[in-house]
Formats: sequence, structure tokens, C-alpha cells
Amino acid sequence: MTAITNTVFKLDYGGKIEREIAKLIAAFDELDFDTARYPKRWLALKLLEADEDILQRVRNMPRGEDVIARAQQGANHLKDMLGDDVDLLTADRRYGYINGVVRQSLHRPLVNRITLTDRIDDIVTHKWLGLPVFFAVMYVVFRLVIDVSSPFLDWTDALINGAIARWLRLLLDLLPVPAWTHSLLIDGIVAGVGGVLVFVPGLLMLYFFLALLEDSGYMSRAAFVMDRFMRVVGLHGKSFIPMILGFGCAVPAIYATRTIPSRRDRVLTALLVPLMSCSARLPVYVVFGLAFFGARAGTVIWAMYALGIVVAMLAGMVFTRTILKPDVTSAFVLELPPYRQPAPKSVLIHMWENTREFVRKAGTTILLASIVMWTLLNLPWGVSDPRHSYFGQVSGALAPVFAPLGFGNWETGGALVSGFMAKEIVVSTLSQVYVGGEEKPVEESTTFGEELTVIGRGFAEAAVRSGKILLSILPGVDLVDEEADAEDTLLSAALRERFTPLSAVSLLVFVLLYVPCVATLGAIKHEFGRSWTATSAVYQTAVAWLAAFLIYQGGRLLGLG
Amino acid sequence: MSEPTQLHLLRPGQKAVITKINGNGALRRRFVEMGIVKGETILIERHAPLGDPIEYFIKGYHLALRKEEAAHIEVTLHGEAHG
Repeated sequence: MTAITNTVFKLDYGGKIEREIAKLIAAFDELDFDTARYPKRWLALKLLEADEDILQRVRNMPRGEDVIARAQQGANHLKDMLGDDVDLLTADRRYGYINGVVRQSLHRPLVNRITLTDRIDDIVTHKWLGLPVFFAVMYVVFRLVIDVSSPFLDWTDALINGAIARWLRLLLDLLPVPAWTHSLLIDGIVAGVGGVLVFVPGLLMLYFFLALLEDSGYMSRAAFVMDRFMRVVGLHGKSFIPMILGFGCAVPAIYATRTIPSRRDRVLTALLVPLMSCSARLPVYVVFGLAFFGARAGTVIWAMYALGIVVAMLAGMVFTRTILKPDVTSAFVLELPPYRQPAPKSVLIHMWENTREFVRKAGTTILLASIVMWTLLNLPWGVSDPRHSYFGQVSGALAPVFAPLGFGNWETGGALVSGFMAKEIVVSTLSQVYVGGEEKPVEESTTFGEELTVIGRGFAEAAVRSGKILLSILPGVDLVDEEADAEDTLLSAALRERFTPLSAVSLLVFVLLYVPCVATLGAIKHEFGRSWTATSAVYQTAVAWLAAFLIYQGGRLLGLG
Repeated sequence: MSEPTQLHLLRPGQKAVITKINGNGALRRRFVEMGIVKGETILIERHAPLGDPIEYFIKGYHLALRKEEAAHIEVTLHGEAHG
């Protein structure tokens, strides 16, 4: 007779526990309890361990309450005899078994080797060096993201607002379409969506570095180093991850709060996440930064990120002492994995997926917003001065509210209103108002082939410049030709006519802090309901106004304006 | 063997054996999942720059716990690690 060996692995939990398991399995039959959905032995074990999830499921099954009562008897009996909860007892047995297997099969050197991970950790989690290293890493990353991507930004800008707009205009000239279609396509759609697509290079860089930090293992060191800070604000260490994601986009960050155990911590994190400067706000900083601060743009942008963090800390402290007092604190248990070289493929996927998400938003929400904006700008039909359009009228009515902040003109008011759709629209609206309506310079007639050559050469030049800037971040290396840096877009010139450096900073602060975009509020409403959504919108707008007011008026008192 | 104490009171470089795990059900279950069980040896590695949390070495991996959580773990001192 050929015996079929039972290869199902079964761990022996020891006489007393095994006896209770057997008794409970017998009780299933005795009580006529249908266990068809689960293996009997496994179910009995989970019930004795009082696993929350399984208890809940069994409670909803016929005769479930009776079965649970029996399981409790068994568990109490075991606790009396063995002096501990069943889940701890079974865990002991499992670890005991694992230790046995490991001892038989794995030989470790007696002396603990000092690994590379240990040596890196000696520096990055060092008592004095840990925090400076953390802030230095953040600073370098954002310098790289902004400065290294800027030549590509210029190139994409030239491609979309130059060649593509030109080709489209030539194409439309050949077609029997009314004049307003020209205007809608070129001044509305190309100017609007194009104004957002130019930031794709920067976003690719940003997501590249976020993926690098995460996959290398540094991210959990950052959580370790920063946890004490997070607690000052009243947050859980795990809040660090949504907060970091908030630098990318607040929407996934709000959903990431689900990993935080207590509701109170989740709500507080969700209220503070939108203060982390998301990548949609980056275009606004870049445009104003380059227009007003040139080579020092990176510093201004870094300051915006830092200010967002500082305001979040203050807001967290206020919430913790008022409407969100801490309840029973939840555990902070964090693994610090060995450092690993990030897998290029995983980094690329990360970059691609997040950037695609942004572009998809640009393709739908922003396209829609651009069309609405174009319509408001061009109605009543035939309006020649944008100031007299519907958009101008609405924005003009709002302008006095912003006057004490240094930007009480109708264009900025309008850009801020449209920025509620998504913050990057602030830039495309300003671009539409200031640049979109102006006469384009007469283009030289070039052939299609020549134009492609120029575009290709432009890309190569951008790559070279970017490489030089990258090397220039090293101390003592300066390859960047300042003249090339001073190159300007039409929008920069237009902005310099309407803003002073002080009112530009005031506007950036307002954009950083004011009401989260529609998509973020949607996510907050989904997770936490209407009243927290309203809280989020109202407190942020109030804080934004106050902060911009203090900066602008304070700056003027100091004679900066 | 020395007096039982709480995990968070130990200094970096000290080595201890876990004798008891206190705290509520959810917290204890979390500890067990991470390999923090009775009889296990745990090495105190370092404090975070601001003093809290503390990094430990247990079961061949590195783990960070806040002081308030580590206070639930009772240990007896098992010597100093050298090197």
C-alpha cells in the first residue's frame, strides 16, 4: 500500500493548548456551527487568541455567540494555568519553533560585524549630526529638483509656447474655422495646459528624489530623527509619511493617513498635510522665484517649504490644545531596514506613475478650468479689455480683500480664485491674462525640418546646462555661465511690471497657505466628513491672509517694499 | 542576575533579556508581531538626536520605540556589548 504522506505543516502548541483547540473543534460540531469558510484548526486557534477581526466575523454567523463563549472559557482556562494571554503563548511557541529551525540551519559569526548600515547610521542618526544631516538632505534635494530641472523647464516652455503654438496657428489658418476657435485653442488650451506641462521636468526630478529617499532606507531614519518633533506638534511618528507625501500631492497624502492607528491622529494629520507645500505649488514658486530672485530662487523656494512646516507645527500645537486633545496614544514601532541601493526600475516606475497622475490632472481638471477661464475672460462676447470681462468683474470685486497683502489687483485676485481648482492654475491664469492676450511677435518662416533641428539642439543644450548646474552644487565648482541664467520668459517680464519682490513673497506665502485645492478638500470630506472639511478650508484661508499680511506690512515697515 | 528594570531606562551599549510585556492588548500584539517576546535578548543601540525614540537591535534587525512604549517592556540586564 502506498501511503500518501500528509505534508501540511502543523505546529505543536503543547499539550494544554492543543487540548483546548481540540475541545473547541469538537464544540463546533456539537453546536452545529458551520465552519465551511475556514479551516477548523485555524479558526479555533484564532478564537482562542481573541483575534478582533475573526471574533467580529464569527459574531455575525449563526451560533457564533455560543462558539465565542466556549472559546472564552477555553482561553480563560489557559490563562489560569499558564499565566498569560493565548496570543502571547502561541507567539512564544511559534518563535520557539523558528529559533530551533534557525539554530539548526544558520550559523552566524560570533562577533557582530560592523556593517556599512551601522556606519551610515552612526552619522545620520548621530546625536548632534542627525538633525543637520536631515535638513541638509532636504535642502540639497530641493536645490537639485529646482535648479537642475530649470533648463529643461525653459526648453519645454519654448517648445509649447513657441513651436507648437505656431504650428497650430498655421494649421488653423488652413481650416475654415471661426476666429474664436483660434483664440480658444491657442490662448485658452495651449496657453493653459501648456503652462502646466512645462513643469513635468521638475516633477520628474522631485519624484526621482522622493523614490530615492524611500527606497534607500533613509526615509525611516528621517522618521526616527524627526519623531520627537512630530510629538511636539501632537502627531504620531507615522504622520511623517503622509506629511512627506504631502510634498508631492496632498490627495494621496490624505489617504495615506489611514495607516495611522487613532482617529484623532488621523484627523490632525489631515488638517496639517495641506500645509506641506505640494508639487502643484512649486510652479508658482519657480515662476516668481526666477522672475524676482534669479540665482537665489532656490533659497526662496526652500524658505517656502520651511515656512509651510513651521506653520503646520504652530497649527498642530494649537489644535492639540483646543479641538483635538490627545487621547490614548498609539504605539510607535518602526523598523530601520538596512540601507539598500534603490532599484532603478522601481524608481522609474515611481517617477512615471506620479508624474502621469499630475499630467492626467493637467489634462482634465486644468483643461476644464482653462476653458472656463477663457470663457469668463472673453464674455460678454467682444470684450476687448480683460478688465471688463466677467472674470475681471468678479476678481475686481475681490481685489480689495488682497490689497493689504500687497497684491490688490484684479488679475491676482482672479488667479487666486482659479487656484482653488488646483494651485498650479495660479500660474496658468496669470500667464493667460498677462501673456496669452498679448500680440505674439511675428515668427520667422522656417521649414518644419529646420524647426525640429532647433528643438533637438535646444534639448541638448538644456542637458549640458543642467549637467553644469548639477556639478556647481559641489563646493568650489562653478561652471554656470550667469548670462545664460538670466534668460527670461515673457511671463517673468510681465510679473516684474506688476509686483515688487516683497509683494511677490507675500503672494507666495498666501498661495502656500490658503484654502486647499478642490481635490484635497474632496479627499478630506471622503475620509473625515463635512465639518472637518469646512474646518480645513476656513482655518487655512484665515492663516494665509494673516501670514501674508504680517509679511507684507512688516516688510514695508522695515523698508523692504 | 540583576534587578528587573524597564527597557527605556537602559543605556546604549547595554544588553538585556525580556522578562515581561505589559500594556494593553493591541500594543502587546504589536510587540509580539515585531518579535518582542519573553526570553529574547535585546541590545540598546542609540537614542535619536532629541533623546526619543530609542533604537534597539533584536532578532537581527533594528527597531525604534518611543520611551513611553519601551516602558511597557520589563527586562533584566545581561551585560554590556563590547566593540
